[in-house]
Amino acid sequence: MIEVRNLTKRYGDTTAVEDLSFTVHPGLVTGFLGPNGAGKSTTMRMILGLDRPTGGEALIAGRRYQDLDRPLRHVGALLDPAAVHHGRKALDHLRWLAASNGIGGERAVELLEQVGLGGVRHKRIRALSLGMKQRLGVAAALLGDPAVLMFDEPVNGLDPEGVRWIRDLMRGLAKEGRTVFVSSHLMSEMALTADHVVIVARGQLVKETPMEALTRNGSLEDAYLELTSGRGL
Amino acid sequence: MKNALAAEWLKLRTVRASYGLAGSVGLMVVAGALLSWLIVQDYDTSPAAEQVRFASADNSVVITPVVQFLVAALGALVATSDPRLTALTAVPDRKRLLTAKTALVAAVSVVIGVVTLALSLGGSRLIMGDRPPPIAPWDALGDVLPWAGAAVLSILVTGLAGLGIGLAVRSTAVTIVVVGVLLWGLPAITPMLPEPWNMDASAVMVPYLVWEVAGVIDDAPLGPSAAVAVLALYALVTLGTGTVTLLRQDA
Repeated sequence: MIEVRNLTKRYGDTTAVEDLSFTVHPGLVTGFLGPNGAGKSTTMRMILGLDRPTGGEALIAGRRYQDLDRPLRHVGALLDPAAVHHGRKALDHLRWLAASNGIGGERAVELLEQVGLGGVRHKRIRALSLGMKQRLGVAAALLGDPAVLMFDEPVNGLDPEGVRWIRDLMRGLAKEGRTVFVSSHLMSEMALTADHVVIVARGQLVKETPMEALTRNGSLEDAYLELTSGRGL
Repeated sequence: MKNALAAEWLKLRTVRASYGLAGSVGLMVVAGALLSWLIVQDYDTSPAAEQVRFASADNSVVITPVVQFLVAALGALVATSDPRLTALTAVPDRKRLLTAKTALVAAVSVVIGVVTLALSLGGSRLIMGDRPPPIAPWDALGDVLPWAGAAVLSILVTGLAGLGIGLAVRSTAVTIVVVGVLLWGLPAITPMLPEPWNMDASAVMVPYLVWEVAGVIDDAPLGPSAAVAVLALYALVTLGTGTVTLLRQDA
């Protein structure tokens, strides 16, 4: 479970996230929706301890991410598939991540096979396609077999096959009882993937609701646009 | 801590730049030996009157500044090669991450320093043979231990400085430029300052500090203890700046 409590982030005079509170429950795919610049990525970075909140807190299973022992065993995250050393081989990338959290190197080999990258494990990351890099990022997120998974815009730049693969993966992970939190601004994709949605605009919570309640009288896109109209940047 | 250190070691071993740096250090040892050999050949064919004016054929003096620079680049590589987002997601305890990186750079720097100095001094001794001073400035390896110790210490300090500057500026290229200015740029300028600033400023430059730490210069502005303290200050200031940046900045 992820609990976000009164989270605030300011950069000088600019407020990126303001007094944001919501909960992400296990067994569901929770979509995190909002216009560009709404504060989705900043919120995710604060949940992972990458950015320091100006106020409030974000807890995973009751603890701050930076206080978790061997955090990859609790949380898997794919925020930016390009945030890798592109000169390193795919397998070596997973091996150092595994080593940092006391995970055996064999798990890295197993996961590369699972995400369809077994054949390119000795290739340098710069030689991989965008879709392959996304899959590598997913493999990195799954390394510690975590109960909580976070994905930031995971289908950006993927072909239809890749999009379906990510969607099925997230649905499958939630079905296993894991907490899956995914940000996106692709409404059609979220409508197919998410069970629950958290909508933000200008860093503030607009709506937290089951998907079913939001789409009862129309499409997710219509509901989203109605809720966020005039709130975008 | 053990896991963070293992990950840093694995990261260092799995990028090409590390092997490029190791190869460059090896190349310097070979180039140094070649230089010693050429000097000795010239010495042997020169008249006795000229032989007494020859410089030392000990190549460790020539290659140590280059090894300092290469080790500083290694420190920069450890600090900057992996995006902070991924590094801090894997090891979010920033103090633990910093300790692992510092321990790795310190250990690798000392190993490179000891191996390089041993090969360079041993090679120089073999090439110089039993020739007299000034071409062979020392009789036994024991005579040169203060210099070797000072050189290894300076290599350790420059490695840590590279790490600290890299953590502070978060750019390999900028780190290497700053290190180049510290190791070569400023020491080239300080002797041109008006007296007495030229002596005072030169005395705290890394290339001169190595000699001062070794205690081999008569009337050196700084004694060995003071020189060690100044050298340590280089590591403390750069690493301290890098630490503050890593601990306080968003990833």
